[in-house]
Amino acid sequence: MNLYKKISVAEFTCPPWLSFSAMKLITRILDPNPMTRITIPEILQDEWFRKDYKPPVFEEKDDTNLDDVEAVFKDSEEHHVTEKRKEQPTTMNAFELISMSKGLNLGKLFDAEQGFKRETRFTSKCPANEIIHKIEEAAKPLGFDVHKKNYKMRLENLKAGRKGNLNVATEIFQVAPSLHMVEVRKAKGDTLEFHKFYKNLSSSLDDVVWKTEEDMKEVK
Amino acid sequence: MDSTGKSFFFRGSSLTMGESICAAALIPIVAAVDFLFFAAINCFGYRPRPRPKKCLSGFADMIRLADESRFTVNDIEALYDELFKKLSSSIIDDGLIHKEELQLALFQAPKGSNLFLDRVFDLFDEKKNGVIEFEEFVHALDVFHPYAPVEDKIDFAFRLYDLRQTGFIEREEVKQMVIAILMESELNLSDDLLEEIIDKTFADADADKDGRINKEEWKAFVLHNPNLLKNMTLPHLKCITTLFPSFVFNTGVEDL
Repeated sequence: MNLYKKISVAEFTCPPWLSFSAMKLITRILDPNPMTRITIPEILQDEWFRKDYKPPVFEEKDDTNLDDVEAVFKDSEEHHVTEKRKEQPTTMNAFELISMSKGLNLGKLFDAEQGFKRETRFTSKCPANEIIHKIEEAAKPLGFDVHKKNYKMRLENLKAGRKGNLNVATEIFQVAPSLHMVEVRKAKGDTLEFHKFYKNLSSSLDDVVWKTEEDMKEVK
Repeated sequence: MDSTGKSFFFRGSSLTMGESICAAALIPIVAAVDFLFFAAINCFGYRPRPRPKKCLSGFADMIRLADESRFTVNDIEALYDELFKKLSSSIIDDGLIHKEELQLALFQAPKGSNLFLDRVFDLFDEKKNGVIEFEEFVHALDVFHPYAPVEDKIDFAFRLYDLRQTGFIEREEVKQMVIAILMESELNLSDDLLEEIIDKTFADADADKDGRINKEEWKAFVLHNPNLLKNMTLPHLKCITTLFPSFVFNTGVEDL
């Protein structure tokens, strides 16, 4: 508790080996008054901060496993898993279906305020090829470059967003010959931007989408 | 009178011989009365509610739980203060998680029943007394930790899906589960299609073709399809303390 008291009154000492400009910056950051505290743009302007500064390249902390998507697009011999032109998208097996249940997704317990998700799904009664076509048509005007391979797609936003270019991966699974599940997940970039993108996408895909995850939520 | 007898006993070395004998005699009498009392209660068909643990019996318990799991003491504290407390008081404020409370957290609706919720609740509730205590909560969540061994996750998933706990995942159980997920998502599939999906799954998973999946077959199946274990890992568990900003100021644990 003592430590937290010290934090709230900014009671600290700087070691003697710290340079004057570093100490000055740190003092301005550790200001308990948010009104007088230094702002991020001001930090970026600070002389000590700017010395040898290289703007960051954002690495994605991966929760989603993208090896399969990467493999499809890499085209190199080692990653290739005899991909002949597939007639049908991958069929979901029973357990993949089952594991979609809300009762089996405990991550929900940690979602403080309905945080934006990094992936979402919808079902469609349209044939797989039509789904692909429609997604492509919807994504291009939004500024996305589309790469397709079998039933997986990679959408890359040409403009850089808050955390680099937004990359989206989609994959189509077959639940039954006339019913497909489309998974849309963020591969790289800002989750908030992904959320906005998906909203735009789903309004353009109105006639393709049969049931979204929102619809599936309204059970009982 | 019994309380004074007890306090004499615990004061330790200052007891005279006479007082010790008195206390020694008293304790069994008190115990006997207690026993008769509870026996009588049972006769009347009254089942006392499981005694709620309103608060963890302190720091020692947290250390023990941290030792027994992959969590740090800070993690345990955050889990208790920020997560368990909220969950366990959302409907019935008794320091225990009831099924409706888990349902509320996962489904946003306390009503209705769900097969998978039942299974999860059942596996969390080690003592099978209808409620999840904090210790059970921690033990189960430990399996979902990113650093937990994959064998534990495979085992947990197997027990989840083995609805009747026969040691095998039977075809009827798979069918029951697929029907349940279709109902939950309000998707309709004809019976033929349903059978087709299950056929294909069993063709992949049931190596000895005996119509059911045993532990070994399950293990091989899952290692072949690792995305089946996706929901057995909660990445958030690696950084619990950072998930709850208020935790930093409320923590009772001294800086580690």
